[in-house]
Amino acid sequence: MPDWLMRDPLNGIVLTIAFFIAMMVGRYLRERRSRADGILIEPGTRLIISFLLIIAVTLMENWYFPAAISVFCMVIVLRLKVLRDYIKKIIFPFVLASFILAVQSFTYGVNEIDLGTIRLYSEGLERGLLIFSKVFASTSILILLNMTTSESDLLTSMHSLRVPGVILEMSSFMCRYIKTFSDEGRTLKSAQESRCGFSGSFTNKIKNMASICGLLITRAFSRSEEVYRAMLSRGWKPGLQFSSNAMKPHRYESNNNRRT
Amino acid sequence: MKSSLIDLGGFSIHISDGILEPQWCLFWFAISAIFLGLGLRIINKRIRDDPIYLPRISLIGAVVFVISVLHIPVPVTGSSSHPVGTPLAAILIGPFATVVISSIALFFQAFVAHGGLTTLGANTFSMGIAGAFGGYSIYRMLKKISPLWFSAGMAGFSGSIITYLTSALQLSLSLNPENVMYYWKIYSLGFIPTQLPLAIAEFALTGYAIKYISETKAEVIGSSGIDRFTKIAMIAMLLIVSIIAMGAYIGHLRGGNMAGVDGTVEWAAAPEAVPGGIGVELMARFGEPIGFAFVGITGGLITGYFWKAWWKGWRKY
Repeated sequence: MPDWLMRDPLNGIVLTIAFFIAMMVGRYLRERRSRADGILIEPGTRLIISFLLIIAVTLMENWYFPAAISVFCMVIVLRLKVLRDYIKKIIFPFVLASFILAVQSFTYGVNEIDLGTIRLYSEGLERGLLIFSKVFASTSILILLNMTTSESDLLTSMHSLRVPGVILEMSSFMCRYIKTFSDEGRTLKSAQESRCGFSGSFTNKIKNMASICGLLITRAFSRSEEVYRAMLSRGWKPGLQFSSNAMKPHRYESNNNRRT
Repeated sequence: MKSSLIDLGGFSIHISDGILEPQWCLFWFAISAIFLGLGLRIINKRIRDDPIYLPRISLIGAVVFVISVLHIPVPVTGSSSHPVGTPLAAILIGPFATVVISSIALFFQAFVAHGGLTTLGANTFSMGIAGAFGGYSIYRMLKKISPLWFSAGMAGFSGSIITYLTSALQLSLSLNPENVMYYWKIYSLGFIPTQLPLAIAEFALTGYAIKYISETKAEVIGSSGIDRFTKIAMIAMLLIVSIIAMGAYIGHLRGGNMAGVDGTVEWAAAPEAVPGGIGVELMARFGEPIGFAFVGITGGLITGYFWKAWWKGWRKY
């Protein structure tokens, strides 16, 4: 028996199981692609893969795997030619991760690194860099998912993941009206600006902003009644849109068959 | 870009994926799931009674989301940032419904790199639960003794501060569990330059917005939808948590290592725990917070389920 085979079996077992399961999933995805008119990965699968990948990144104890994932995501971003959007979105997590890196490097650990005027701790720096690389990798995954999947696709895939119907209904309403109210808010703001509404003191500016917010809320309240009437006229009832029964084609087929 | 969600600018404290330790992600998910379940129960009940509530709450949720990403002028710094928005939502639709709305909003915000999927529970807790319930409690306390605009403004201010303090606590609990108080202070101080002026702006925005609504369409400002049992349970929970937190802080000021509460809980909850037993082993594997959260959830579920039966039984004697 070779010596390397008689040592701790855990890593080998994990690697083998992970490899073969991934191989089966890969084959399944390739088959689905050929059935789904060339879509590389179906939105639901994309969401699950991204979620699993982010969990894996969160569990990682070394910085180089998250760094490799970040580089891989960057390559895809460059290929998709959406680098500007990517940079714009990654700024906030970058700031937060840098803040945590700074706090950890300056305060955590015992082994000091003397850089002249600045004194860092090696343990803190190591931990900060690990968190930094994890944030970068997981955010890159999410941004890529956002760039390749629409909200309606996400909602449909959430339905197949058994998310409660009322959450899906509210999400679909919110997705639809966020854009509408955002445009209305922008129009109201530019109308106020053109009448010098945002000049002067802080109190004046905030009063005008608050009146826009108040107006948007009262409009939403009034519009909800119109929306409800429109929904009723189209035969809506609570739980209809994302009812699991309504989305099962075989039920409908079996009824037809029974009739014939 | 496929997604049509509006872009978020400015600086806000949504904890990104990869920052919190896995056991803390699970812990905040568990806590938020309880509030989310209660919120869904209240919403479903209201929809059954009055189906118009579904589009109403969704549209108001959409507007509050838009308001929370509007850039408002921030005093002192001269820049602009976006408010938390959950105290305003809690005043309009109640704190439990706000938990549901904010978790949906945070889910979609995660895809524009504000927050994350594994940290959704933590962010929902800081914004949708701590911020909304904290702000709403202040609003209810001040409503009877001060003008409406002031109580709403204070709800906005305190909700904003509570949100950032909770986020700082979440970071210190996960990243530096060996010295929580020290790092809580550091993270909170780090957020103050941007968040204190923002809280002042949120005071003015929430106060004026509620004043405007009360003058033009007062019926929009709704009730909390919370029954008496839930209200008393919430007050008791806040009271006990405050006593524990204050006790721990006083202990810290006297030079304690903050392990006193842990020891007391362990002594009271499991006085005869076997060191090598399955419970202790599980806690060592998944972390103490998960273990105690599991114990709390089990105990709370059983108590809540048999509450009425026990209460009726006691009244007979």
